[in-house]
Amino acid sequence: MQLLWNGLIDAGGLLVNRDALVLNAAWRSLWISATAVACAALLGIALGSLLARRKIFARSLLVLLLRAGMGLPTVLIGLVGFSLLSRRGPLGGLELLYTPTAIILGEFCLAVPIIATWTHSAIRQLDPRVAETALTLGAGKLRRWRTYLSETRLSILLALLTAFARCISELGIAIILGGNIPYRSQTLTTAIATETARGQFARGVAMSLILLAIALLVTLTVAWLSRVKEPS
Amino acid sequence: MKPLIEIRNLEVRKNGTQICAVAQLDVQPGERMAVIGPNGSGKTTLLRVMGSLEQQYTGQCRLQVAKRQCVYVHQAPYLLRGSVLFNATYGLAAHQISRHQRQEAAHRWLARLGIDHLAHRPCHGLSGGEKRRLALVRALAIGPQLLLLDEPFADLDPDGIQTVCEALEEACSTTIVVASPAPLPDRLGARLFSLG
Repeated sequence: MQLLWNGLIDAGGLLVNRDALVLNAAWRSLWISATAVACAALLGIALGSLLARRKIFARSLLVLLLRAGMGLPTVLIGLVGFSLLSRRGPLGGLELLYTPTAIILGEFCLAVPIIATWTHSAIRQLDPRVAETALTLGAGKLRRWRTYLSETRLSILLALLTAFARCISELGIAIILGGNIPYRSQTLTTAIATETARGQFARGVAMSLILLAIALLVTLTVAWLSRVKEPS
Repeated sequence: MKPLIEIRNLEVRKNGTQICAVAQLDVQPGERMAVIGPNGSGKTTLLRVMGSLEQQYTGQCRLQVAKRQCVYVHQAPYLLRGSVLFNATYGLAAHQISRHQRQEAAHRWLARLGIDHLAHRPCHGLSGGEKRRLALVRALAIGPQLLLLDEPFADLDPDGIQTVCEALEEACSTTIVVASPAPLPDRLGARLFSLG
């Protein structure tokens, strides 16, 4: 307990003094996860809406696979990504391994099933009168799709926040695909693991506090949005 | 003159139970018709078949009108998220009407139905009667050839019924089919078609 208390006091000092390593890892974690979720949103929302509104081949199987993908272990995504991006792998020529781009690709794979599944569920649960109203008022395919997204926008926003929370707090992808290189591909989670193992407990705690603050912010936003959603 | 709606031997079944049956029905262009009958007689189903929202039926239902010119208004209308004006202009936007023209048309119909003062209010605070009027504005603003109204006078007070009747009279080129459990106000001048 004393160790944790001392760690907290030292961590406060590091944060006040703007420790370069801590801030660098925090900033990288933020933009990597935000980029991964933004890219995953494009595919996930399109895929979720398509599966919800169109009768396509093997739809049930695809939905099942996406739901299973929500619980995918991050180390598994990391391992598959490593086999693809390593020098001997089919994408080795791109030389992406141990770069932030590799982590973005891995987190993209982590976020797509979450966003697609939530979008699919939200649109499937929409009141059937939404589609009928849009159709009968003459809305074309694109306008109807925009209407579905508008009617489910809070659910989709919650999906994006959940995906972001999962991406920023994962370790497996960041350590296997990013390589944990300080000032290059080190993220908060990998830095916490490394610094704690090196005996730099205060740094680990400082980074954990930042991660905790981000997680709390996301959780509070999700809770607030859920409250906004309830009355409607 | 060729009927706008031509129905022959129509039958709709759900889980093996017949929920709507019409041997013959013709509706002429510009005509007002009221489908009356007790609860469960298939009035809503008949309107949904006419509006191409119900596809599972046997027999014939021929419409001499483009799908985009046929508007169905639900018994409990669904208002989209957003303001009253957004809802009023939704159909006009879908019909590629310019922003200026759709605002003008929406305000005209909102005023006609007595809810223009609510134009910038969000929809979720509206009363049942106001919601019904807005759904009617949304449909009438398009100027459809065929208007299918499912119990449009429910939730309306006598003044509201009169306002809606007057608004429907104004849409003189539109064929209107109304489903109602009881005969409609005389001033609507609707031919009665009884189900059940």
